[in-house]
Amino acid sequence: MTDNTRSRSSFDNGATGAGDIKVEVRDVEKLFGSIVALRGANLTVRKGEVTAIVGDNGAGKSTLVKCLTGLYVPDGGEIIIDGEVAHFRNPDDAREGGIETVYQDLALSDQLSVWQNMFMSRELVRRVGPFKFLRRKEMKKQAKTLVEDLAVTVPSITNSVKRLSGGQRQAVAIARGVMWAKGMIILDEPTAALGLRETAQVEALIKRTVDQGQTVLIVSHNFEQVKRLSSQVWVMRAGQVVGGTRTVDVTNEELVGMVTGAIQLAG
Amino acid sequence: MTAETRTPLLPARRSGRVKGLAKRFGTEEVWAKATAPVALLAIVILFSIASPRFFTAANLSGMLADSTIPVVLALGATFAVALAGIDLSLAATVALGSVTMGLAYQQGWPLIVCVLVAIATGVAVGAFNGVFVGWVRIPDFIVTLGTLSLVMGLALILSTGVPVQMREPALTFISTQSLFGIRYNILIAIGIAVILHVVLFHTRFGTHLLAVGDNADAAKAMGLKVARIKLAGYMLCGTMGGVAAVLLTSYIGSSQPAANTDYLLKAIAAVVLGGVSLFGGRATIIGPVLGAILLTFLQSGLTLLGVSAFYSPLVIGIVVIAAATLMRGRK
Repeated sequence: MTDNTRSRSSFDNGATGAGDIKVEVRDVEKLFGSIVALRGANLTVRKGEVTAIVGDNGAGKSTLVKCLTGLYVPDGGEIIIDGEVAHFRNPDDAREGGIETVYQDLALSDQLSVWQNMFMSRELVRRVGPFKFLRRKEMKKQAKTLVEDLAVTVPSITNSVKRLSGGQRQAVAIARGVMWAKGMIILDEPTAALGLRETAQVEALIKRTVDQGQTVLIVSHNFEQVKRLSSQVWVMRAGQVVGGTRTVDVTNEELVGMVTGAIQLAG
Repeated sequence: MTAETRTPLLPARRSGRVKGLAKRFGTEEVWAKATAPVALLAIVILFSIASPRFFTAANLSGMLADSTIPVVLALGATFAVALAGIDLSLAATVALGSVTMGLAYQQGWPLIVCVLVAIATGVAVGAFNGVFVGWVRIPDFIVTLGTLSLVMGLALILSTGVPVQMREPALTFISTQSLFGIRYNILIAIGIAVILHVVLFHTRFGTHLLAVGDNADAAKAMGLKVARIKLAGYMLCGTMGGVAAVLLTSYIGSSQPAANTDYLLKAIAAVVLGGVSLFGGRATIIGPVLGAILLTFLQSGLTLLGVSAFYSPLVIGIVVIAAATLMRGRK
């Protein structure tokens, strides 16, 4: 299920045809009572590369991401995925649309094993009369293969998640996203709670994910990480996307300036 | 089970297999799994030395039969505890189930219908608990404490406190007859345990139940229907209360309007001894079964040694707190 588009290259920034756009966010608005969280946000995410969203706290990054994952329903504007207008009413809709999300708190069941977590709510079953039984061996096998393919550093697929390190837990959550995503993964602050070494491991995993043909949208506070990982970066401020650029064209200092508003950019 | 693919990756893990093994022995999980079987073995050996009458076929068979109701109730309690909940109304459900069974019997309904009435009563009490815990979102402790009183009262009102005699050969058969020296009632309990083991470890529901017990928010984010899973868990627990009501009625030969709180204590104790996490998310079926057998053996053994029955709650309390401390201390 991950090998459908494996041949795509990771940094494919030459073409800009409409076919290469995975997601287009058009004038998306979101209100919470009288508070305007998003006031007409626009951005595009190209297929097969890493797009980053940066911005200060309260800029509307999380709200925008939650509109994309179906957790929030936008009050205005539209979200176009693969050329079609998407109407996600809940996270299951987004998931069925092929978009997986790795939340900041990971949503792992600590006392369950790695493979159980990876197949959570999407277990493989075998029908016996009116009953359905888990295909435990098959799930372990598939989880193991996937983990090895991604070179994820997890001691054993049958270990409980509780016994893994922070980076390994993150790797399991991302591997689960990769496993079920049909084209796109959204990562919300994937390395916020990790040390240097673990951050490097997770970043390597994200790069491999893109090499396998997935589109990645990442929300990050870490400008160096954005520089290392992404091909395109969008800057949000006060509920709007105030600018976007190819990552190679900006320096760290310029990014900081864009976020704080010291540098103005043409979108 | 996990030995074949341990690839050491972080420096701390590079100290070789011996240390890894030692680490595994030190984990809470291993202690939780080992407590019940090791303690059961120790008790059998100790009592066999202390009394020549303990390790005899007749005594062992009798003690196993006596474990039937504790085993069935421990199985039910396992599902509530695995959800990070508790069902305090379990023993009261047994009383109510036996009362409704007696009422059905007085109506002259066939025995099989009376049995189904008792089980349905348990299902209904479990559903009541599940709805209040899952949808109304009142803490399990409060809900089931209320249900305990409610159900106990209902049993007394419906029966006016009077037991109904049920001298049915088919009913007494399961508590008095044996197959290869093992009484039918404990065989039924073991049969149920096997089914529930399959439910817990080989169905999606079992996995989802553990996931909800472990972390309800994560389970929800993964698209699990948390309230519905809680309802199903409490219904299973109530069902076991109903089954225990039938087995109790069979054993005594009449309905039992008064709740025996000793059953609740023993069921929860067996679950703790069996290594089921009181914080939810981790459970086995064999553990609580062995725990219930262990507690029954302990009680019988003390009686056999001439220790006053007054001491047995004290001993059970000590055993439970010791077991819980042992598992907690290994975190």
